[in-house]
Amino acid sequence: MSSSPLLAELIEALRCLPGVGGKSAQRMAFHLLERDRERGLRLAAALDAAMRRVGHCSRCRNFSEEPVCALCAGSGRDRHVLCVVESPTDLAAIEQATGYRGQYFVLLGRLSPLDGMGPEELGLGLLTQRLTEGEIEEMIIATNPTVEGEATAHYLAQLARAGGVKPTRLAHGVPLGGELEYVDRGTLAHAFGSRQVL
Amino acid sequence: MRLDQQPAYVLHARPYRETSLLLECLTRDQGRLGVVARGVRRERARTPRSQLEPFQPLALDLLLRGELATLVAAESSGAPLRLTGDAGLAGLYLNELVVRLTGRQDPYPGLFDAYARTLPRLVETAELGWSLRRFERDLLEQLGYGLQLDAEADSGEPLDTAGWYRYEVERGPVRCPPGRGHALRGEDLLALAEDRRPSTQGLAALRMTMREVIRFYLGGGELRAWRVLAGAMTRR
Ligand SMILES: [Zn+2]
Repeated sequence: MSSSPLLAELIEALRCLPGVGGKSAQRMAFHLLERDRERGLRLAAALDAAMRRVGHCSRCRNFSEEPVCALCAGSGRDRHVLCVVESPTDLAAIEQATGYRGQYFVLLGRLSPLDGMGPEELGLGLLTQRLTEGEIEEMIIATNPTVEGEATAHYLAQLARAGGVKPTRLAHGVPLGGELEYVDRGTLAHAFGSRQVL
Repeated sequence: MRLDQQPAYVLHARPYRETSLLLECLTRDQGRLGVVARGVRRERARTPRSQLEPFQPLALDLLLRGELATLVAAESSGAPLRLTGDAGLAGLYLNELVVRLTGRQDPYPGLFDAYARTLPRLVETAELGWSLRRFERDLLEQLGYGLQLDAEADSGEPLDTAGWYRYEVERGPVRCPPGRGHALRGEDLLALAEDRRPSTQGLAALRMTMREVIRFYLGGGELRAWRVLAGAMTRR
């Protein structure tokens, strides 16, 4: 099929990216080879360096190439509030959408027995250790409003209380600009169940 | 084969390909099925992903071909059950138990009803342990591993309500010295058989006994949910 085994291998390798099938992989490979070799080389170098050197922060488990990430090491963040999220993507979403200035902890998953995810896999030993250091006063639990995310939130809340830390949970409910009629049953039931006094 | 309006619950969902989910479902007529739900991870999917969460009574239209079924349509057939707090953890345990102990496409006629009966119990009562023991008993019965709870192993003599027993897997209750580890009162075994709540100590011993039985049928394995539940329970 291909006149070059290296090209064939590049196309195959590009398919590991989310949303990239055979056609797009081929288009990307041709584009880099025909018009953009310089940036292609830069991409290769960046990919190589990141894959080798980016690990996880030993305090928050977010991606970091240092043992402790910039966010944990920096002095500009409030050390009394800790926000627990499922993934680095969720952390980025909160950073971009809110004015949150506290610390984070990334679970890299959620409690899910059938996926082999238990307390150890989520680094809850490390989290407990951080809670007992005594600086944290509030733990914001920002796991997803799924069955597994809720179970994780419940488990984390118990962990926080045991460490003398106040657990709080993100509110979930009817989306802004939404109409009740079009909200699905599960969301509506949840919003109804967690209604607040005005 | 096509199944229409099949009563079902989702036990577990994992991402599948780019925009789909691979569901493990418990259906009324076909037992556990692996179901591919195409495109439901798209932002504007026809079936919202939230509808395919566990613990919601569903009516599924399915196309059954080969090992996996394909989801044609899903609608909720009742209000979703809100398993919050420890009930949520108990629910995850229930789902792991069913997935690990049943095979795909093995219909067990009474299993669906036993499962559907248990969920509201988890929501309504503070007696999570008792609700789980009842389900474990019914599940083992459905799988053909029913426990012998009213007669002594080997001899088949009726149990002595005040006597002490140890439950031997695949055999039944055997007399043992009182009050140690897994030792059970005859009356607690009989209570489980007759669906009456056993004494609190009896429930604790039954929990250990059931674990041993389940471990045996798992081929010696452990359930992940045991560690999750243990972590949650030791903290109070
Ligand atoms: Zn960090």
